[in-house]
Amino acid sequence: MEGDISVLKTIAAGLAIGLGSLGPALGIGLIAAKAMEALGRNPEASGPIQQNMILALAFAEAIAIYALVVAFVIIFIG
Amino acid sequence: MASLLNRPKLLVALVAVVFLFCLGLAGGALGNEFGGGFIGSPLAHIQLAAEPILSAPIIRGLPVFGDVYLTNTMVTTWIVVSLLLLLAYLGTKNITDTPGRFQGLLEAILELFLGLAEKVAGPTKGRMFFPLFMTIFLFVVTANWLGVLPGFGTIGRFEPASEVIHHAEKKLKGDGDHVDLSSIHLHKFEGDGRFVFIPFGSIGDVLTAKEIEGHGHGESKNGDRAGLLVPFFRSSNTEINTTLAIALIATIAVHWWGIRALGIREHIGKFLNFRSGPIMLFVGLLEGITEFARVLSFTFRLFGNIFAGEVLLIVIAFLVPLVGLVPFLGLELFVGLIQGFIFSMLTLVFATTATMGHGSEGH
Repeated sequence: MEGDISVLKTIAAGLAIGLGSLGPALGIGLIAAKAMEALGRNPEASGPIQQNMILALAFAEAIAIYALVVAFVIIFIG
Repeated sequence: MASLLNRPKLLVALVAVVFLFCLGLAGGALGNEFGGGFIGSPLAHIQLAAEPILSAPIIRGLPVFGDVYLTNTMVTTWIVVSLLLLLAYLGTKNITDTPGRFQGLLEAILELFLGLAEKVAGPTKGRMFFPLFMTIFLFVVTANWLGVLPGFGTIGRFEPASEVIHHAEKKLKGDGDHVDLSSIHLHKFEGDGRFVFIPFGSIGDVLTAKEIEGHGHGESKNGDRAGLLVPFFRSSNTEINTTLAIALIATIAVHWWGIRALGIREHIGKFLNFRSGPIMLFVGLLEGITEFARVLSFTFRLFGNIFAGEVLLIVIAFLVPLVGLVPFLGLELFVGLIQGFIFSMLTLVFATTATMGHGSEGH
């Protein structure tokens, strides 16, 4: 019985981080694409574009980190 | 290719790196599957919570917190703080009008970030937010970079098997469940010192707690000690309490500035808005919830990134020792810098929006 639960935990953790990083990955890609586009139109604004891009990336990435924390909790605590 | 042959030093370095990489590939856990594994170490024990480096608590029976243990992340945090204090002391001991190299470096760093703060928040507010902004950046980046140093997570105290099993039992207490001894993995250590490290080429020296059952104090059959390594140093941001503390400080400071700039009435009025109809009331309540979510995302963003980085380094060092790890060390340095920047920058942005009233938003 104990073995079954640990297998389930492994699958659950894998699914949590795997599915949970899909959305943020798309979001980060979109943010970077738009930033590159903006950079191509206005190369002088590279400083502010880069800063704001990193901040926006942080928000998108935070969601993936939530999934990661859930995966950690499933494996180590739950 | 010809240019490479003309530079023998570069060629030798390249060959050495490739050789070391192949050695690591064959000698690590990947090679272990094919009969290699001669320099690999067993996968280090990964634990979410910080580990106490003294088995006895340093403060007993506090009213709310209970026993306080001296953990490895605490030690690292103190090292980071003393490093920064030392830097600040040495940098400001004798300030001159024509700065030397050291003073010049510190001034360049500070001016870079002061310029950034003034650009984001405006000249007066920027100067007001700057101390916290800079402190968070310096602390987070120093802590993250310190965690990449050798010796972190690899040298530590020996925790005998009996103690490990006892901890596992304590965790399960109340469930009425028994500890599954075959799920507890232990490492073998030679000698009898209290300071241990995981030796080279010990990749097979892993056993489960079930195998040593009934052998007394963590002795395996051949008389080797079985137990776990509790590292003396561990990157401070891999403990959730550290990141939660920084997040709380940042959020409380943001609200304090908001109250100071707008008055307590208008600041609370952002979240409890009864004057502009039900929709605005709902929007305000949502904003209030967002404030709590910010603390959580501050905490977990930093913690998750650094902890995941630590786990990544451990796993890569297990799979491909020696030079296979180097690119990932570079990645960790980069992530540490970016996370410090993000944490301090978000604090600055939140502080700027919190001190802006509703009227002055569309400037």
